[in-house]
Amino acid sequence: MFHTTFYLRRLHSLCGLFCLGAVLFEHIFTNSMAIFGPEALNGSLAMMELIPKPIFLALEIGAIATPLLFHGIYGIYIALQANNNPGRFGYVRNWNFALQRYTAWFLVVFLIWHVGYLRFYTKGVTGTPISYELLQNLFTSSPITTFLYILGMFAAIFHFCNGITTFCMTWGITKGPRSQNVISMISMGLCAAMCCITLVFMGSYFVR
Amino acid sequence: MADKMVRFIIERQDGPNEKPYNQEFDVPYRPALNVVASLMEIQKNPVTVDGKRVPPVVWECNCLEKVCGACMMVINGMARQACCALIDELKQPIHLQPARTFPVIRDLLIDRSVMFESLKKIQGWVEVDGSWEVKDAPIQNPYTAETAYEISHCMTCGCCLEACPNVGPQSDFIGPAPTVQAYLFNLHPLGKFDAPKRLNALMEKGGITSCGNSQNCVEVCPKSIKLTTYLAQLNRDVNKQALRNMFDK
Repeated sequence: MFHTTFYLRRLHSLCGLFCLGAVLFEHIFTNSMAIFGPEALNGSLAMMELIPKPIFLALEIGAIATPLLFHGIYGIYIALQANNNPGRFGYVRNWNFALQRYTAWFLVVFLIWHVGYLRFYTKGVTGTPISYELLQNLFTSSPITTFLYILGMFAAIFHFCNGITTFCMTWGITKGPRSQNVISMISMGLCAAMCCITLVFMGSYFVR
Repeated sequence: MADKMVRFIIERQDGPNEKPYNQEFDVPYRPALNVVASLMEIQKNPVTVDGKRVPPVVWECNCLEKVCGACMMVINGMARQACCALIDELKQPIHLQPARTFPVIRDLLIDRSVMFESLKKIQGWVEVDGSWEVKDAPIQNPYTAETAYEISHCMTCGCCLEACPNVGPQSDFIGPAPTVQAYLFNLHPLGKFDAPKRLNALMEKGGITSCGNSQNCVEVCPKSIKLTTYLAQLNRDVNKQALRNMFDK
């Protein structure tokens, strides 16, 4: 007996929380530098450029692309197993369950656009380095882009934070309802904080 | 003829593969009336509000005291036992539907044998017959007896499966009730000998890994079994079992 489903599902959980969680934190950290102006953001982007190219590429493929593709593709398979019913059973956790899947569907589309445009087209094909000016142009180009980017960030943040709560259940860390509620409140607090930071750095592009 | 009537909108279906349709019935109100008693009234006089005589509504019931689980149906959108659904506490008109997470046989009658098959998969029993001498029953652990008693209240009614978004034709999840029964038998002084077998069964496709933590099960359980607590405990046990499987060899 080799429990493929079990190990894939647990790997999906680990990938999401650790690899993609780290990617999300890195994005929010680096992007929040925009609050302090173009020099600060371009400075921290230059810091990342100090990592030797082959190591950077290996990190991108090994620690971002592979976990992201696995989490995304296996995630679609998981999402297809759900018949979301928050309309019939409107409990908070059931809403979170449904939102986890709705945000997942949105993120699949959003990330294809985001990675495709910025990483593959802009950085890869045209060879333009990512800079404050480039991002400012992109984010302020149209209200639709701004809205979609904020929505994409909110979706990713919620998906990650709700993921912390379910991770603790899936791994049997939080067993009783009290500990599950405490973790849920902490992760939703983190969700609110990360969403606020996102709004601030996205807003900063408009005022500068 | 009582003045006050209770209006029922019942989703009916003539056979497993027939199309569902709605029919409305009026039942004379009386104090402490419940859904099963109302269905019995309809059975006595199966006439719709339009005055049409129709075949009586088919449903299942047994104990009439929330112990057997047979009369589970969807009442005003909620999966629950019809015998303890009091008319006084329900919004009218009252909508009755079969629990469609299970195959519908006719009207409100459903086929719940899938849960029995799932209990077989997780070995929901204690091995008593073997080559050993049968002695007195072993004592229950007094520290876990309360939990075991609680889980043993499960009447396989299927409310949790109906509410669970991950149970249905789109998924092979066996559902909260049969999964949590594995924990009951793992707690048993003799049943615990087979605990690794049950945990390995739960690691199979459609086992506990299919749980998506929507926690609807614990909200709808008519016996107030702390299903999510035991699912988390089983997650813990299954993870430990996986480590044993990997490193014990």
